[in-house]
Amino acid sequence: MRSSAEPFEFHATLSHLDEGLETLHESVQKLREATGRDKNDRNVMHFEIALAEIGANVLTHGRPSGEHPPVEYILKLDHDTARASLIDAGPPVDDFLSRAMPDPTSEAGRGLPMARWLLDELLYKRDGEVNKWRLVKHL
Amino acid sequence: MSLEVQTRQVDSGATVVAPTGRLDVAGAPALKDAISEALKSGQAKVVIDMEGVSFVDSTGLGSVIAALKQIRSSQGDLRLAAPNQQVRVVLELTTLDRVFPYYSTVEEALTGF
Repeated sequence: MRSSAEPFEFHATLSHLDEGLETLHESVQKLREATGRDKNDRNVMHFEIALAEIGANVLTHGRPSGEHPPVEYILKLDHDTARASLIDAGPPVDDFLSRAMPDPTSEAGRGLPMARWLLDELLYKRDGEVNKWRLVKHL
Repeated sequence: MSLEVQTRQVDSGATVVAPTGRLDVAGAPALKDAISEALKSGQAKVVIDMEGVSFVDSTGLGSVIAALKQIRSSQGDLRLAAPNQQVRVVLELTTLDRVFPYYSTVEEALTGF
């Protein structure tokens, strides 16, 4: 594993679901390269799963009908800790912290509980007219 | 396009559905369509070959659960084959590995199916 003392920052604006998700995965691949982790590294994998879940949520609900501004995305590496932030101008997200993992036969509702479980920190804040998400994972 | 899906029938009468790409919120509809097509043609035994799936998210997983329900309501069954490490982690994390026992290869999944 290479030292992650080198600064790593990735910035993007996300406008479309499929391309936006592709960009999130690309950013994690760059994070792997920057830290010398392989694709089966458990911590980076957990971070990627959580990021994809929150990203999908933000790109689906944070830009309903695409009429809102693009989602702002930043990924930073800070002393072996990945810190991602997503800012969208969609409607407020209610009760996300209290959502539990659904029944095994349920077809939906696992994304936020999974992200919460996989990350060291998952923070959500309504700030004026925008939603701010922060994801933190010690690698 | 995050997911492409190929479908083939094998001699035993089962259908092998092989998605390639990300099975996520953007790709899940393509898998649902392929499963629906397989059921329309009367095939109730379906193996999803996951070898080409690079990443699965909770919506992608939801599409597999929907497929299982749809197939079982047609008196059929569904098996998963060759999931990569990330897919196995998500299955275990959500305890869906108890709902979907997975097989190492398509050949193994087809044995006795």
